[in-house]
Amino acid sequence: MNLQVVYCNHQTARLGVRERIAFANEDQLARAYDELRNRFPASEYVVVSTCNRVELYTAQEKAEDAPSHADLARFFSEFHQVPLSEFFDDLLEQTGPEAVRHLFQVASSIDSMVLGESQIVSQVKQAYECATRSQANGPLTNALFQRAMTVSARVRSETKLVEGRVSIASVAVGEFGKSIFDRFDDKTVVILGAGEMAEETLRYLKNEGVGRILVSNRSPERARRVADEFGGEPRPWESLDDCLAEADVIVSTTGATEPIVDGARFERIRKRSRGRSVFILDLGAPRDFAPDVGEVDDNVFLYDIDNLEATCERNRRARVKEIERAHGIIEEETARFMQDVYHKATGPIIKRLRETWHDVSRQEMETLFKKLSHLDDKDRKQIERSVERVVNKLLHPPLETLRDEAKEGTPHGLLDAIRTLFHLRD
Amino acid sequence: MQLQNVTLFCFFASYVVALALEALQLLKKLRINRWAALVFAGAGLIAQTAYLFFRSQAVDLPPLLTSGHDWLLVLAWLAVALYIGVELWNRELALGIFVLPAVLVLIGTARFVSDVPHQELGSLYWLGLVHASLLVLGFAGTFIAVVLSVMYLVQHRRLKSKRAAPEGLHLLSLESLARLNWWAVVISVPLLTLGMAIGVWLLVIAQQTPVSVPVNRPDFIVNGLLWVAMMTLFVWLVSSRRRAGRLVAWRTMCAGGLLIVTILLLKLLGGGGIHGSGAAQRAADGVPAVSRPDMLVSVRTLQRVPQ
Repeated sequence: MNLQVVYCNHQTARLGVRERIAFANEDQLARAYDELRNRFPASEYVVVSTCNRVELYTAQEKAEDAPSHADLARFFSEFHQVPLSEFFDDLLEQTGPEAVRHLFQVASSIDSMVLGESQIVSQVKQAYECATRSQANGPLTNALFQRAMTVSARVRSETKLVEGRVSIASVAVGEFGKSIFDRFDDKTVVILGAGEMAEETLRYLKNEGVGRILVSNRSPERARRVADEFGGEPRPWESLDDCLAEADVIVSTTGATEPIVDGARFERIRKRSRGRSVFILDLGAPRDFAPDVGEVDDNVFLYDIDNLEATCERNRRARVKEIERAHGIIEEETARFMQDVYHKATGPIIKRLRETWHDVSRQEMETLFKKLSHLDDKDRKQIERSVERVVNKLLHPPLETLRDEAKEGTPHGLLDAIRTLFHLRD
Repeated sequence: MQLQNVTLFCFFASYVVALALEALQLLKKLRINRWAALVFAGAGLIAQTAYLFFRSQAVDLPPLLTSGHDWLLVLAWLAVALYIGVELWNRELALGIFVLPAVLVLIGTARFVSDVPHQELGSLYWLGLVHASLLVLGFAGTFIAVVLSVMYLVQHRRLKSKRAAPEGLHLLSLESLARLNWWAVVISVPLLTLGMAIGVWLLVIAQQTPVSVPVNRPDFIVNGLLWVAMMTLFVWLVSSRRRAGRLVAWRTMCAGGLLIVTILLLKLLGGGGIHGSGAAQRAADGVPAVSRPDMLVSVRTLQRVPQ
């Protein structure tokens, strides 16, 4: 069995790179899964694509079916029409236990920009569900992602990682928003997009006492739903410019594949906002606001996800002990998961060997009992038990060796030897 | 140590230590550093109060009317009192790093400005006191506006360059800084205007006395021009729809900074006296100038000055 992840995240690649190979919405992901199936039919896949990371998990029964790092990089390049040279160095690879450990770290938010953030759990869960809908995953990725959820829950309950500022919105508003504005109760907040990120940001801003909320989304139903939930006003996507002209705070979380507002458009919008300060938090990947929007005038403050890195690093340094505890849990769970995986790999062989030997012993006993017809039931039972014990004792050393070897990884050599020695067929 | 022996150096040194501790906060934020800075600044403030009090007692004049030296020290005293007050209210705020250097400049300038007591005001005593008080409060407001503008520009630069705030450099929000700056200008300019108006009135009255002061003195003209600059800023701020922003901060910093720097230069180059022309006054009054070779100018030195 083989597990692999190729990924780039906020630690390895700038947002400018990540957004070019990201999967912005489910339609794009479904097409990606179709393409992957065509290229590597013997693999299972799950893609985790968020504003901070693009990760492709693959799993195969046989190691020889695994696509190489270069194969997967080529897939990203051709699917997104991005030259390989622009991101290949940023696209890292982990295999086996390292891949498992990586997913556990991601799901536990150890690998997140905002340590302890809860949103990554649902993002990983959504990624897994999306793969399930596209029938891209399989038994191994099922086991892996389900375990990742369990590990995440364990880390959250057994450490204090979730205390303090644990959302991107809280970090962004705390670090930049509160340095621009003194209070939010007299401000107009415009939310572009109506996904989970938008909801989480609104939840935080609502706690900060934000006064007026306008929600604009391509799907008016979703905009209305989010607006109703947070006491805001839904606004049609067509009147986006009017919305932005009224805004003091703009939070953008759409799944657009191209920037929706560029410098020239925003300059026109600013003419209607009397030079008021505006705080724009672009949480989209790809970004929703072109970088030149931030240069329109002195009172436009535009931030994307990468601008939060320094603050998050400071939070991380303050919680070193909790991170160590979380790493301990993840190490333990990785070892346990790998053991289960290897055990599953050796399980069929053990079962078959045991069945074969017991079949042989049963056949031999039947022949013996026909010859010794004077034996009563009690004697027969006694003989059956003795033979069974002999078979088990003979099986014990090879099976124990197999189990021991499986703790370190799938013992392919030993399994082949057992198959050959005892004429076991798949 | 007896408080009568307090020298300028005592509180200058205290403020230097407080500033050093505030600067250390930028490297590593420690609560104890801020407390220590406040203790040193508080000690300096007590020493400065004693210094001003005993000088005032010695010449029987309030510090504002004693001399240009004392007037500058009162301005510095107000700035330190503001710093301590604000820090006690919000210990996270990095105010000292902006206020204390300016305080040191004021005290340093005062060191070189004559501490010879002002001539007897006689019947103009109360009017003179109101004039000096309004001006010192107006200058204090301008000083605050300049400090707020500098803080605004630092904060604005950080936010535009998308950098996280250094741990020890917590500033108010741009919105708060702009609002406070607006109020500082809007309050200080009328105070300066009123102070100057009373000054002009004093001039007119002085013309009818034997100690007449020439109206066309350069320091009066420069002060008048600076007042026009501040008034322009005031009118622009009050009438403008855009009350915040980098431009406001720049204009405030330039106008207020120019006012403060010019006043300091006038006091320095003018050789002392309450309006930076002490030499002329001393000559007129027959008061000998006191040379001070070092910074240890104590109240005892002042007491030796013939009245």
